[in-house]
Amino acid sequence: MSNKIMVVDDEKIVVDMAKMALEHDGYVVETFLSGESALARLKEETFDVVVTDFKMKGIDGMEVLRTVKEQYPKTKVIMITAFANLDTAIEALRGDVFDFFPKPVKIKELKASIERALEK
Amino acid sequence: MKIEHKILYSYFFNVAFIVLIGIFALQNMNQVLAKLRFVEISDDLNASFLEMRISEKNYLLYRDEKWIANIHENINDSMKAIEATKDDISRVIGENNLQLLRSYLDEYSKVIDEIDKSGGKDPRLETELRTVGGKLRDFFRNKTQLERQKVNDIISNAKSVLFISFLCILFLAVVLGRIVSKKIVVSLREIEGLALSIAEGNFRKIEDVTSKDELGSVILAINRMSEELEDRGEEIIQAKKLASLGVLTAGVAHELINPLNNISMITQNSLELYDYMSKEKRLALLNRVAEETKRMEEVVRNLLDFSKAREAKLREANINDIVRKSMQLMENTLELSNIELILKFERNLPRVRVDEHQIEQVMVNLIVNASQAMTPGGKLSIETKKGDEDKVYIYVKDTGQGIPPEYLPNIFDPFFSTKSSGTGLGLSVSYGIIKNHKGNIWVESTVGVGTTFTIELPAYGRTKEVKDEQ
Repeated sequence: MSNKIMVVDDEKIVVDMAKMALEHDGYVVETFLSGESALARLKEETFDVVVTDFKMKGIDGMEVLRTVKEQYPKTKVIMITAFANLDTAIEALRGDVFDFFPKPVKIKELKASIERALEK
Repeated sequence: MKIEHKILYSYFFNVAFIVLIGIFALQNMNQVLAKLRFVEISDDLNASFLEMRISEKNYLLYRDEKWIANIHENINDSMKAIEATKDDISRVIGENNLQLLRSYLDEYSKVIDEIDKSGGKDPRLETELRTVGGKLRDFFRNKTQLERQKVNDIISNAKSVLFISFLCILFLAVVLGRIVSKKIVVSLREIEGLALSIAEGNFRKIEDVTSKDELGSVILAINRMSEELEDRGEEIIQAKKLASLGVLTAGVAHELINPLNNISMITQNSLELYDYMSKEKRLALLNRVAEETKRMEEVVRNLLDFSKAREAKLREANINDIVRKSMQLMENTLELSNIELILKFERNLPRVRVDEHQIEQVMVNLIVNASQAMTPGGKLSIETKKGDEDKVYIYVKDTGQGIPPEYLPNIFDPFFSTKSSGTGLGLSVSYGIIKNHKGNIWVESTVGVGTTFTIELPAYGRTKEVKDEQ
């Protein structure tokens, strides 16, 4: 059974590109354009890895991280931020984030991180 | 002449004047005293002379030798008294009159001697005695009366001189004092007006500085300051633009990093999965790259426009468009600061004639201030409105901490800042820009409730004055 990955970002092109790259590697990918829709989907379905943008309107990446960790402690969360700012990094680490990438995202590094996340 | 010297000289003049009056009064007093002394002496002499005349009459009546002896005694007494007080007497009536007095007395004494020798039988000598006696009597009477009259004259003269001097000093004190102080006050008013107009950003000068005193130096100093301020005004605006740019950087960087991320992801996928993509997909992605490039270009151009120093270039424009454009610059900053934005644009606003970039700069300054006043968040409402008398209004209203009333009068002053990080230039630059547009900007604030800045700009089209500018 292939691993299920959720990608959340409010820019459609970002989730589209992530989906294209990850599906090519054989992952099952679902994409969401807001924290709200992602959390709604998480109530019905579990994912192995959640890749989420940090800054989003409404429910942001930190809240997605907290909710996922509360409901599914085994699910790994990878955070994407526009700027790797120390405060946000510390906050994310406290929320038990698995990895942390600044924009622009290197897709190879993201894939490698997802692989590591799934090994554990 | 310097004010310091003017005051010093007028002080010395007054002191000298008072000293002169004092000397004059003292001299008068001495004269009066000398004359009174003479009158006193002359009264004594007169008394002894009267006694002589009585003895003379008694002798002529009774022919008794003892009266002659009496007369001699009196003459000797008088002579002694005159010799003792001759200085006082000559000072008052002069040496000539003193000699005259002596000669009268000598003559009288001689006549008495001759009468004594002749045994009183010569009627010619008796007549001569009467004549000489009459001369002495008249001399004393005249001189005493004259000196009394002189004393009266001196006193009344001194009275009027002192009165006139008093009037002169009063005149000097009141009129000259007023003239000098009025001159100083007028100059100070002028300086005050100059300073106030500089404070309003109008760097005018007082052209003809005629007075070479301290006030003249102050005016020259302020003129120089005004020149310097005018020269540096442009530098200040430039510096402020750079400072606002710093505040903008975070927001703008966010605006750039997202399209950059999009292009980066598209490129990585295209390189990696090129062969797996349909032709349509590739074209769609390339189009997206072009689009994102354009988006970045626009951000960079906005940034360059904002930082570029330029002369006010007045162009006809719609205020709503300008406000909208400045909101694009600020959107990310506001979002990062967790500020809810409420925009209310009135349709069919009269057009204005403005330098769009400068008005944008004012809006950015106001919005940056509002967002800093609203940590950790709040509501920012920006409204445009058509006013009476061809005016257009922009309201920038925040729900921040408000400005304490004691700061309100200084809020538009250069370098006045309540923030530790601020340069204190934002609002003063904004004020200058709006004033240059013949507009107005003012602030209303309640501590704990929020602050509203109102910008008033003249509408273009019906107002002709604006057209002639630049």
